[in-house]
Amino acid sequence: MKGVVFNLLEDAVVREHGLLAWDSLLEMAGLEGAYTSLGSYPDSEVVQLVDAASTALGLSAGEVLRWFGRSAIPLLHERYEMFFTPHKSAQSFVASINDIIHPEIRKLNAGAGCPHFHFHDLDDGRTGLAYKSPRRMCRLAHGFIEGAADHYGDRVAIEHLSCMLDGHPVCRIALDWNP
Amino acid sequence: MKQEAIPLPDDAAMAVERLERLVQREREGRLQAEAIAERGLRELYESQVRLALLQRITDCANRSNDFSEAIGEVLKEICEHMNWAFGTAYRVEGGGAAVSCDAWYTAEPAKLFPLVEATRDRTFPRGEGLPGRVLRDGHPHWIDETELAAHACRRIAAACCGVRSACGFPVLIGDEIVCVLEFFSHTSMLDKDAILLTVTQAATQLARVIERARARATLLHDALHDAMTGLPNRTLLDERSRAAFERLPESREGLAVLVIDLDGFKAINDKYGHHAGDIVLIETARRFDSVITARMGGRRRGDQASWRATLARVGGDEFVVMLDALPDPAIAMDLSGALIDALKAPILVADEYVNVGLSIGIAHSGRSYCSVEQLRQDADLAMYEAKSGGHGGVVTFSESLGNERRNRMALESELRDAIREKQFTLYYQPIFALGKAGTNTGKLRGFEALIRWNHPDRGLVEPGRFIPAAEAGGLIVFIGDWVLRQACNAMARLHAEMTAQGLDPGELPYISINIAPQQFLHPTFSAHVQRVLLETGVPPELVRLEVTEGVAIIDPDQTRQVLEQVRSWGVKTSLDDFGTGYSSLSYLQNLPFDTLKIDRSFIASMDDPKSRKIIRAILDLASNLNLSVVAEGIETMEQGASLREMGCEYGQGYHLGRPLDEASAFALVWPEGTASAA
Repeated sequence: MKGVVFNLLEDAVVREHGLLAWDSLLEMAGLEGAYTSLGSYPDSEVVQLVDAASTALGLSAGEVLRWFGRSAIPLLHERYEMFFTPHKSAQSFVASINDIIHPEIRKLNAGAGCPHFHFHDLDDGRTGLAYKSPRRMCRLAHGFIEGAADHYGDRVAIEHLSCMLDGHPVCRIALDWNP
Repeated sequence: MKQEAIPLPDDAAMAVERLERLVQREREGRLQAEAIAERGLRELYESQVRLALLQRITDCANRSNDFSEAIGEVLKEICEHMNWAFGTAYRVEGGGAAVSCDAWYTAEPAKLFPLVEATRDRTFPRGEGLPGRVLRDGHPHWIDETELAAHACRRIAAACCGVRSACGFPVLIGDEIVCVLEFFSHTSMLDKDAILLTVTQAATQLARVIERARARATLLHDALHDAMTGLPNRTLLDERSRAAFERLPESREGLAVLVIDLDGFKAINDKYGHHAGDIVLIETARRFDSVITARMGGRRRGDQASWRATLARVGGDEFVVMLDALPDPAIAMDLSGALIDALKAPILVADEYVNVGLSIGIAHSGRSYCSVEQLRQDADLAMYEAKSGGHGGVVTFSESLGNERRNRMALESELRDAIREKQFTLYYQPIFALGKAGTNTGKLRGFEALIRWNHPDRGLVEPGRFIPAAEAGGLIVFIGDWVLRQACNAMARLHAEMTAQGLDPGELPYISINIAPQQFLHPTFSAHVQRVLLETGVPPELVRLEVTEGVAIIDPDQTRQVLEQVRSWGVKTSLDDFGTGYSSLSYLQNLPFDTLKIDRSFIASMDDPKSRKIIRAILDLASNLNLSVVAEGIETMEQGASLREMGCEYGQGYHLGRPLDEASAFALVWPEGTASAA
């Protein structure tokens, strides 16, 4: 996992719960906690941190990831405004993730393993989003989409049609941009 | 200086507050450091990717000699690199319009189909559409979403494909726009600097390919074409002829070769200079080309297999047309006629109009040919046959012409022996004054020297049987020189004898000597005449050189110079066979002749009033120009009497005196009762 994810998580935690909360989380997770956006760190450390937060806050790991995703968008905007400016809607921003945002991330971090989101039209007019990753962080994606809607002042209804966490081979999410 | 202690916080709460600020500063510092590093990494990445792209494009440009091959790869690389939807290219021909070269790339052909279709085979005039604007202004153009939707000429197709922006770039060689590149994207094109940097460098590489392809085409063209006329040269003609010959069916029919030689070209070159000659060649090539193109283009659909023609310039003033896949041999003859017609209109050279004629030889392929070279040789032979007629025209090679050539070659070889072994002898035909009207006594005025070949097997051979072969084989110069020297020698001897006998020098007969055109136009001819005069001691005024109009047609200027020179030494000049050939009055007016000889054909047909009128006209003309006239071929008393009546002064012919050997002929000069000392 790229260091920037840890940095974003730290920022989100500090912003909501204070500086010492992050240190507590690290302590609970038994991690050293020196992360820089330029480095890469084991995926397991994110899982440990999310689990610690889940315990501390009394939320499910999925809820923590969703909260983190949603909170991360304003922080990402601060750091990487250029990814946001070409878009006038959350829908357009989300749609550009594979073709623009991920390639851009790979420019900064050689070898970054970005997940691929397969967008398609669903029969009922909603946008389908298929996600398959050993990290199984579909809830983080959920949070990011909500954060994007917040950022552009749009509304979106998100429904998980199937989930790897429930033993499905792939996560399928339905997005309704006109709920 | 006194060391002061740094003040420390006094309680724990303040210490925490200050530590938090310290952490915050560290954090800010780390973020800044990360941002700086990220920017560096991003730039490094982008430049690496761009360099890799340009390297691939350069590699492609280096290994490709062909623009159409390179362009596809370059469009693909750029589109993939930029994540653009569609890329295409236009060739600029003559600077007037951008013509789609049907080279395009898209990763999603099905989705982009409407735009690809709206672009392929399109031509954008200067100023029209994105390519036309690039062509007009010579710099890149960008079209954003708004403009694309509102004004672009392919907006409907673009909208169908979900295309939102476009850009166009010129490919330049020096200041010349040789190609326009055009790209469409599903998104806005924001980083124009990066795009410019990349596409401009790619365009430079493409320009190299085009430049190299041009240089290669020029080299290839130059190696296979005549620089002056732009026509195929001998190499290309040979190549195509051989290929065409190999394609022939078993009957080996369907191929024809026309060998074309310009008549009178050398004279133009000599008179007006090589530059004028070049103009004539270029204009000739142009007219030939348009005649041939029109003939080929004039075919109707449904006609038999279409024939092809290759027009080539193979030598100074020699052209060849190779006709391939001929459905009908008559086409070659028709085409020859059209080529001759095309040169009937004069050509403007150095403010003067000049005319050139054509001699065309045609040979048709057939079973008897094993190679196209044989066909060429026969067409050559037919051309020489056409040329030897003196007036150009068309001759088609035939078996009899081939036999004639074989005979002529055998004859030529015999003639070489004859020259070496001195088998020639001179006969002399007397020329008489026809006398005043009403009298019938003619006085001997001179002799015409006539050559005979004393053939070891065939006896005496008449000149008509061997002179054409001698002319064709270039032997006439040697034979002619022998005749000149021999005749002058004989006349010098006769003159010495007569003066020794005390005969009146005013009564001395002259000797008329035929000079062949080749001999006459030889650069050293007049010098040679002078040498013969000196060496034989013959009085120049007793020597009369006879030339035909042929010399004047080949080279009027040289003819005039030589005539003037020999006349300045006292030698007389005579225009032979007048009335046949061109009989151009301008020759008579411009060339210094003393005598005019009426051709024997007019005398033979004197019963025909037309011939008599012509003879009358010639006599009047000669009288006006102050020329003496000799009628040739007088065979009857009536002819002699008629000519005398008409005022013709001199004549020769069987009726008056047959050609005789030297002793018999010169015996005629002695008054009756006296005898030669010999």
